[in-house]
Amino acid sequence: MENNTVITINNLVKRFPVGGEFFTALKDIDLTLNKGEFTGLVGPSGSGKTTLLNIIGGLDSPSEGQVSVLGQALNDTSHGERALLRREHMGFIFQSYNLLPVYTVFENVELPLILNKVGLKEREERVAQAMEWVGLSNKTDSRPAMLSGGECQRTAIARAIVHQPALVLADEPTANLDAENSHHIMKIMLQLNHELSTSFIFATHDEKIMAYLKRIIHLDDGQITEDEKIENPKASA
Amino acid sequence: MLFKIALKNLLGARLRTFLNVLVTAFSFFLILFMSAMYNGMLEHAKQVTMDTEIAGGAYWHPEYDPLDPMTFEDAHSALPRDVQLLVDQKKAFPVLVSQASIYPGGRIMPAIMKGIPPGQNIVNMPTDALSGHDDIAIPVLIGKGMASDTKLNVGDAFTIRWLDTDRTYDADEGTVVHIMDTENFKLDMSHIWIPLKKAQTMLAMEGEATYVTYEKGLPPVQDKGDWIPRDINYLVQDMEAIIAADKPGAQVMYMILLALAAMGIFNAQVLSIFRRGREIGTLMAIGMTRPRVVGLFTLEGGLNAVLAAVATLIFFGPVLWYFGVYGIPLPIDYTEMGMIVAKRLIPVYTIGLVVSTTILVSIIVLIVSYLPSRRIARMKPTDALRGKAVA
Repeated sequence: MENNTVITINNLVKRFPVGGEFFTALKDIDLTLNKGEFTGLVGPSGSGKTTLLNIIGGLDSPSEGQVSVLGQALNDTSHGERALLRREHMGFIFQSYNLLPVYTVFENVELPLILNKVGLKEREERVAQAMEWVGLSNKTDSRPAMLSGGECQRTAIARAIVHQPALVLADEPTANLDAENSHHIMKIMLQLNHELSTSFIFATHDEKIMAYLKRIIHLDDGQITEDEKIENPKASA
Repeated sequence: MLFKIALKNLLGARLRTFLNVLVTAFSFFLILFMSAMYNGMLEHAKQVTMDTEIAGGAYWHPEYDPLDPMTFEDAHSALPRDVQLLVDQKKAFPVLVSQASIYPGGRIMPAIMKGIPPGQNIVNMPTDALSGHDDIAIPVLIGKGMASDTKLNVGDAFTIRWLDTDRTYDADEGTVVHIMDTENFKLDMSHIWIPLKKAQTMLAMEGEATYVTYEKGLPPVQDKGDWIPRDINYLVQDMEAIIAADKPGAQVMYMILLALAAMGIFNAQVLSIFRRGREIGTLMAIGMTRPRVVGLFTLEGGLNAVLAAVATLIFFGPVLWYFGVYGIPLPIDYTEMGMIVAKRLIPVYTIGLVVSTTILVSIIVLIVSYLPSRRIARMKPTDALRGKAVA
């Protein structure tokens, strides 16, 4: 990783085949994100937020352009190398939580550590710490079906940060939550951003989230229309 | 790591896992049980044949072919020296075989007349019933099947006609002295047993025999002349062939049972991959590689087989044990159908049977788990996260 740069994107274009044609989801994206940024990709539905997030996460590949994440050029990496990058240095938070229903909260949070082959004792300590960060220490044995939406999303956050990744990608993390839970979730993530220096990137069109962001990248029709840096976010003050 | 996750997934899916495991365990049980029944039939038939007919093996006159009665006429001679020695030491007994015609109730019936020493105790036949009948011209021992066919009872007399060594027909009156209840139809159907000395006198073949049966555990003799040694394996092969004729039917049944178990697991795996698309996407997003996800789903299927084996042991083990100890009473008497089948059949579970059945079921379960899981390798993580499965 060079300097503090976490993500570097140059001339990114993403096209999807639709029928016999190609639909261009992202056009000429140039972007640099630094360590510890709390950034939002903001725009209406279909503006390319999730596609950009997926490409940054190595879940999708660009049609053109260069994408470098945590010092690794994703264009030159295999599926396996991208999986390793995600496993060790990234966390994902999804709109619909994507918790594994047959696992308890503890087991869901533990999963990235198991994949990273962390020993049992250390796993228990780190899961307990992550549960404490998100305020779910009393729910470790519950299954996702027994939790509220806010609790599920907090579990998902714990899972995303339990291995202390450099980068957390969150796709509409508050879309299924009420206002109170949305604020709670954002406060937790902001706190983790401060304490762990973890970079967060949100794909969102939720006004409540925007109040916490330190940088807002506006997307429209697959292009960056505005890159706004906010010195003193309203909600974090 | 994969094992732990697979086990968690499997146990967490409770009802789905329970039903899959139950279907597999039931198929496992039936395959094991039917194979053991087949083994039991084979073992029983062999045992009965050895106990009542073969003992340790036999020496045959070179002309003797038990399946060709026309050879009986010439299949007799004095015993080779060492074979005679065995007989003298009571380690073997001779049998003289001849064609005969009997006339029970005025009807003519072809029969195989065998002379056997009444005092032999090498095979389990009630031949001692033939001794001590000086007042009877020809004491005759027959089986229940023969008695039923001829409508003869103990004490009934009937005419026996035979061809002696001088090719002269002769006849005399035989009297049934005993009716034996034997599972070995080969001693029963169309057979009449008379004392050896009497047979030798009737046929003018003094000191001669057609074959000699010896007791178990004897080494081959040196001087057997041109007589042919027949060991147990040779002598039971016709019995094995009769039972083996039943094997294709049993194998079709195994295939159906295995197919049932395989379809259940295949169906569950396909459904899993379609229904658990989002889970697959999540696993990929948090860093699990595609081959590992494929491995995870295959392992889940494989663990089904292991759980099925455990479930078989727990749920069906007592049933298998009960039948293994007490057997299963059969409603019909197979003796008349030309088969040696016990009236109470006891399944025989060998280690080989259990291991081979377990391996077979496990391999099939692994294959049907792996085949649908391969689709995951073609799945895009972004599609999987949207819950979109591959076609």
